[in-house]
Amino acid sequence: MKKNAIDKEENVVETKTVVTNRAAVRPRKKRRNQLPFAIVVFLGVIYVAYLLAGKSAGLAISWIFGICFGVVLQKSRFCFTAGFRDPILTGSTSLTKAVIIAVAIATVGFGAVQYAAASKGGAIAGSISPAGWHVAIGSIMFGIGMVISGGCASGTLMRVGEGFVMQWITLFFFVLGTLWGVRHWAFWQRLFFDGAPRVHLPSVLGWPLAITLQLVVLGALYIVADKWGNRQKD
Amino acid sequence: MVEYRLDCLGEACPVPLLKTQKKMAELQVGDILVVEVDHSCAMKNVPEWARKEGYNVEIEETGDGEWDIYIEKTK
Repeated sequence: MKKNAIDKEENVVETKTVVTNRAAVRPRKKRRNQLPFAIVVFLGVIYVAYLLAGKSAGLAISWIFGICFGVVLQKSRFCFTAGFRDPILTGSTSLTKAVIIAVAIATVGFGAVQYAAASKGGAIAGSISPAGWHVAIGSIMFGIGMVISGGCASGTLMRVGEGFVMQWITLFFFVLGTLWGVRHWAFWQRLFFDGAPRVHLPSVLGWPLAITLQLVVLGALYIVADKWGNRQKD
Repeated sequence: MVEYRLDCLGEACPVPLLKTQKKMAELQVGDILVVEVDHSCAMKNVPEWARKEGYNVEIEETGDGEWDIYIEKTK
């Protein structure tokens, strides 16, 4: 199938098209007004934040950030799984590009936080994990799992909240698997993590080079993803 | 013109899109496929794919969290 030129335009994806000759619309189900639920939940969120603030301010801030993160995730339909899966399975790279942009923004943000902490002589914030072959092997296993189960951790949680019942099963086994992993943590620690180096690129390369390198790599990936998304299909 | 329905209720990504892609290949030009989905991501990626292919697309919310996606095979 030959695509015409306008299909290559990125913004054409969002334009409205009208289906001609359409049969009658399926009758709408009676819909409940969700506004009262929204108000109750919103007040509940504030009340829980108030309770948490009594214990510690950090907890309350984490709670609010968590809620906001969930809202953004749901409204944007951001999905890490689709970002890695769709280029191969369906040929779409719009979420791949979204993930790359998110990582680029996080690079700048985390860079600023870490640089501020490091220049004051403090410890470098963030989880700097041991790097090695176990990361690649684990990533592939996680990737297979998330494609089959229909979501990574954040995507699963978001869809559980949305009411997609299949993901409730995913969440149950996600928790089960995590607990299993924690149970044998000492074994994995001894086998892989203790011997693996913890690499923090800015400490090795210096801040300007490390940040630039990461952004250049991300930029290159973005261009590749864009080209892949707009490639000609036959 | 024939109208087909594709029941993808309860199916998570990427199943609705893969089923739609297969079904659209069988349709004649002018036919319409109605995909029923209740997965919010499918409501996003099925129309995105169809519009990229150049088909006409309309989305109708038929219930809370349930959508009909109308796709007209235009070529």
